[in-house]
Amino acid sequence: MSYAYLFKYIIIGDTGVGKSCLLLQFTDKRFQPVHDLTIGVEFGARMITIDGKQIKLQIWDTAGQEAFRSITRSYYRGAAGALLVYDITRRETFNHLTTWLEDARQHSNSNMVIMLIGNKSDLDSRREVKKEEGEAFAREHGLVFMETSARTAANVEEAFINTAKEIYEKIQEGVFDINNEVRKKHFPWELLAITLLSRY
Amino acid sequence: MFRSRSWFGGPWGGRPKNRLSLEHLKYLYSILEKNTTVSESNRGLLVESLRCIAEILIWGDQHDSLVFDFFLEKNMLSYFLHIMRQKSGGSSFVCVQLLQTLNILFENIRNETSLYYLLSNNHVNSIMVHKFDFSDEDVMGYYILFLKTLSLKLNTHTIHFFYNEHTNDFPLYTEAIKFFNHPESMVRIAVRTISLNVYKVQNPSMLRFIRDKTAAPYFSNLVWFIGKHILELDTCVRTDIDHQSNQKLSNLVAEHLDHLHYLSDILLLEIKDLNAVLTEHLLHKLFVPLYIFSLTPAPPPPSLAVVTQNLAAVLNRNVDIDIQEMHNPRVSSIVALFLLSLVFLVVSHAPLVHALAWVILNGDHSVFKEGAAEILNSYVEHREVVVPGFGEPNESLEQALDTVTGQSSSSSYALSEDSGVESSSPATTELDSQADAVEAEQIKLRNITDEEKQLLQKSSSSTKADFAEMAKPFLDTVLHALDCTENDYLALLSLCLIYAMSHNRGIKNEWFEQFLAKSTRGAFSYKTALIEHLLNIITQSSQPSSRIRLITVEIALELLVTFTRPSSDDSRCITVAQQDLLFSARNQSMVVLRNFYRSEDIFLDLFEDEYNEMRKAQLNVEFLCMDSTILLPPTGTPLTGINFTRRLPCGEVEKARRAIRVYFLLRRTCQKFLNEKESLLPLTNVVNLVQVENVLDLNNSDLIACTVVAKDSSKQRRFLVIDALQLILVEPDAKLLGWGVAKFVGFLQDVEVQGDKDDSRCLHITVHRGGVTHNRTPLLSAKFLFDDHIRCMAAKQRLTKGRSKARQKKMYQIAQLIEIPGQMDSPVYAVGGTMVASSSGGSGNSSGSSSRSSHHRPMFSTANRVPGFAAVLRGSNSAGVSRTQMAPNRSIEGIRNESAGRSRRRSPSSTSGSNLTADHSDRERSPSVSMGSHSSSQSRENSQPRSTGNRSRESSPRMPRPRSEEIPLEDFQHSRNNSPHSRGNPSPASRSQTPIRVLHYDQLSGHSGSPREASLGGTNALLSQLNGLAREVPPTQSSEETSFIGSDGNEPTGGSEGRRRGAIETV
Repeated sequence: MSYAYLFKYIIIGDTGVGKSCLLLQFTDKRFQPVHDLTIGVEFGARMITIDGKQIKLQIWDTAGQEAFRSITRSYYRGAAGALLVYDITRRETFNHLTTWLEDARQHSNSNMVIMLIGNKSDLDSRREVKKEEGEAFAREHGLVFMETSARTAANVEEAFINTAKEIYEKIQEGVFDINNEVRKKHFPWELLAITLLSRY
Repeated sequence: MFRSRSWFGGPWGGRPKNRLSLEHLKYLYSILEKNTTVSESNRGLLVESLRCIAEILIWGDQHDSLVFDFFLEKNMLSYFLHIMRQKSGGSSFVCVQLLQTLNILFENIRNETSLYYLLSNNHVNSIMVHKFDFSDEDVMGYYILFLKTLSLKLNTHTIHFFYNEHTNDFPLYTEAIKFFNHPESMVRIAVRTISLNVYKVQNPSMLRFIRDKTAAPYFSNLVWFIGKHILELDTCVRTDIDHQSNQKLSNLVAEHLDHLHYLSDILLLEIKDLNAVLTEHLLHKLFVPLYIFSLTPAPPPPSLAVVTQNLAAVLNRNVDIDIQEMHNPRVSSIVALFLLSLVFLVVSHAPLVHALAWVILNGDHSVFKEGAAEILNSYVEHREVVVPGFGEPNESLEQALDTVTGQSSSSSYALSEDSGVESSSPATTELDSQADAVEAEQIKLRNITDEEKQLLQKSSSSTKADFAEMAKPFLDTVLHALDCTENDYLALLSLCLIYAMSHNRGIKNEWFEQFLAKSTRGAFSYKTALIEHLLNIITQSSQPSSRIRLITVEIALELLVTFTRPSSDDSRCITVAQQDLLFSARNQSMVVLRNFYRSEDIFLDLFEDEYNEMRKAQLNVEFLCMDSTILLPPTGTPLTGINFTRRLPCGEVEKARRAIRVYFLLRRTCQKFLNEKESLLPLTNVVNLVQVENVLDLNNSDLIACTVVAKDSSKQRRFLVIDALQLILVEPDAKLLGWGVAKFVGFLQDVEVQGDKDDSRCLHITVHRGGVTHNRTPLLSAKFLFDDHIRCMAAKQRLTKGRSKARQKKMYQIAQLIEIPGQMDSPVYAVGGTMVASSSGGSGNSSGSSSRSSHHRPMFSTANRVPGFAAVLRGSNSAGVSRTQMAPNRSIEGIRNESAGRSRRRSPSSTSGSNLTADHSDRERSPSVSMGSHSSSQSRENSQPRSTGNRSRESSPRMPRPRSEEIPLEDFQHSRNNSPHSRGNPSPASRSQTPIRVLHYDQLSGHSGSPREASLGGTNALLSQLNGLAREVPPTQSSEETSFIGSDGNEPTGGSEGRRRGAIETV
């Protein structure tokens, strides 16, 4: 399948906030959400269309990175977009956002698009973090915010696609540098890789 | 999607209704059974079945154990394997699904027993060694994630499922590391994660396997991969003199840092054997032959050598030039210094950094000749001599070395053998070919270095003296690089390297120190040489139009402090002459700065802004070295996007900024050497400012009533108060008559006032945020409506005047700070130049205390103009005096004295005693004298008797107080504030040297103070202060003040009232 751009995403946040479930929910629609089943996966890819262009989203869950500094830093640098996920039913996952964000800002390029996701919006009865708090946090740190539910698939699609749109806009604005590294010889898929251009 | 549905509805029928059930799994099993051969027609069906199996298995794991039993019983994994191995029918479509199913399976499974069962037959290992079509990026992604998921399951129990001790098989690891140089960064990251997860498992036999069979080939390949990357980086630096391909360079640097951090993470796992191999490879295959080698002077350009040789060939003669040597890879010394810095900043594995540091500091060209073992030997010997008892036994290093070298060639072969992979697969081929390349490279290097050594020996004609000269060529290069005559391009990186070495945790401090202390030629120790170089840089940086960047100055100063340790008196190692050099550099920077001293507003803004910037930005060399731009020649233009401190100034404003910053840096360092605390900066002491919600006594202050109309046309009734520094909007206090609560505060210096064309009672007032580079939205921008035209004009005048006075005052402070000639009284002159006059803490009260007192405009200067108030002052003597005096104190003296300032606000906890002492210490400018302790411990009785004695003194005619009473405050303020022009103003406003004045000040500050004073109502405190016994005065005694206040009419009031009173006085 051919595509105009390849956007690499990472998903970050505390364990158990539903990162890999979000990922599976978005990349593989065949897995329909079932009430008593939690399935996730760490990798996935999906084509989307923005502005008439085929764009491939490749999403990498960063599980297992915490133990090693080198892994953390590399992950952030490799991605054009990041979904920062917390669990609305667990306050501490929200409290840790600052740390995650600091990490992300420190290691990633400043142009990485970060979207804040309050997951498990289906569990409203057990909610510990108000939607307004998420909104306020996002506003304060200049993030896009959305509440999703990997279980009911609510807003999952939007979260990934809106992030992609923002990246796409940045490309149009020339903020992102599209690095046409043509490596046809061995790796024909590496036609387009998105790297980030630091803004002057 | 709809197709998949139709399949289920189709020929096989009988599909159970419940998607998540054992029945459904059985049904899916029947499909697998019936479709053992993948074909075009059943592909979709198989894919959907495999997908459903994942779902059901996970559901079963969470809900119904029978599901898993069935899966295992039927050995369904073998079907997976069977499907996978079929070449036909577009396998990648099916394989993606298979891998996804496996991923889901291993990632989501919670039941340990199920996991063990899944792993127990060898299917998983067989799947791992299967050669998928890795050119499909999805297959690649799922595959590597599958391995990563499994690696996360590794522990001392599960390791046996993956590592077969008998067959020396460890496909999880060996398959994964084959992708270590995959072009997709995410794949490489996964490989690194897998390898780290593997190393982490504490299984001796597995680690032995890793070391014996894989370590040498893997590490040598990795090192080669990194090396190639470095050559690319070097090319980029060489070709990009104009900062054009910054993006590429910064990516290369970031990528290299990734590698280094990875290596560091491996080393941090503290697996001895593995670390020994890795250390060996890094040192002898990368650091020494490439980095260190690049520190040697470059050979003649290859072209010349080629020409010579060609000529020789033509002439049929034998010329002794080795072309190969010319091609020996080397990087520019800039890059070499940078890379070495990075090593020391990132890696802290002691044997490695220690050995490398040793080579740099002690090594000579024999390093190249004698190769691996020799260096380690010398390192080890050296280590025993210098740092006895240093950790790692040298045996293990030696042994490891032998083992690895013995096996290195065979084991790379073993790698492909063991994993049962044909070398036809692209990945393996690449690995092998790279291994060959590395081998070749090494042979090449060895040859070359031999030649090099010979050449060297020839050239140095082997006289012993000459040899001694050349003994430390690398260190010489590093030190020579510090020369900034032309620019600081190399010097910055050399400083980074020295900084990184001296701050590396793996290098023992004593060792480093000892080394530096060693004398080289003549009497100079390396340390002396280094300090001299640093001072050279510092001196040069203080010159006008210096070509040294701020960051270079900052690191140089930091290193100077590190190496001379000014803070510890006994081990301080700087000579008087050296210290003088430093001070004269500071004075020189002050001279340079004076040229920029202008009356324009922007200078003050720049000055304050630079100070804040400097305080905010802590020196972080690690962050600095992530910035690839330091690899390129220094530039001046901000168009490159380079941070101001990392380039040269561009234009007048930036030159001023630079001059200011250099001065600040030097001033700060000099203060460290003098053991001084900063007492004059920042110009505004935040502690002394009125804050929003402070409650202020506004009796006798000039208040102008107004209505503040905000942009959104909301109206608020406020009173405008103009302080020496601040504009304050207050609201009357609900409880106390004559008091107000501050609702808004802003700096007068940032106020902009405009009249209104249409309304003569109206002013447009904007209060900007301070500083030049910050958020430009104003703090306040509103229309002020006054009761009448007169009041409006009065407000406008006061604001305008207030603004210029506030600025003048600060400009005056700066003038004092940088000792602008003719701007101050001679005694003050000494004060302004931080250290000139400074004497150690011992200097007596009298001389020390005198130096600092100065008086400024009172807080509410307007108050003093009120005739009634003036009368009160005179009439009621001390009370009035104290108030007028106190205010001036606040403005400048207060700035210096935090505690005093705080107490003037509402801080019931602080005591007047402490104020006093603090003031003293401040004045003496000897922070070492700790005065706070005096304050509270003293008994009240003690001081009371003395106080009487003091009283008499107080009333003596020499007391300045009366003087100040008589001089119209406004006037002297004025003269003072204008002082840049009015030199030598003898008025009390200027910093007087007389002790009396000081005492007076004390009394005031004490007075201004604190809560308890009021309740005590004795005059003793003041008196005791005057007596010079102030320190012994217990806090409570400052009650004196109360008495003054009391004379205002408040005397009878209880403690709380008195306290408030004190607090308010502040304002």
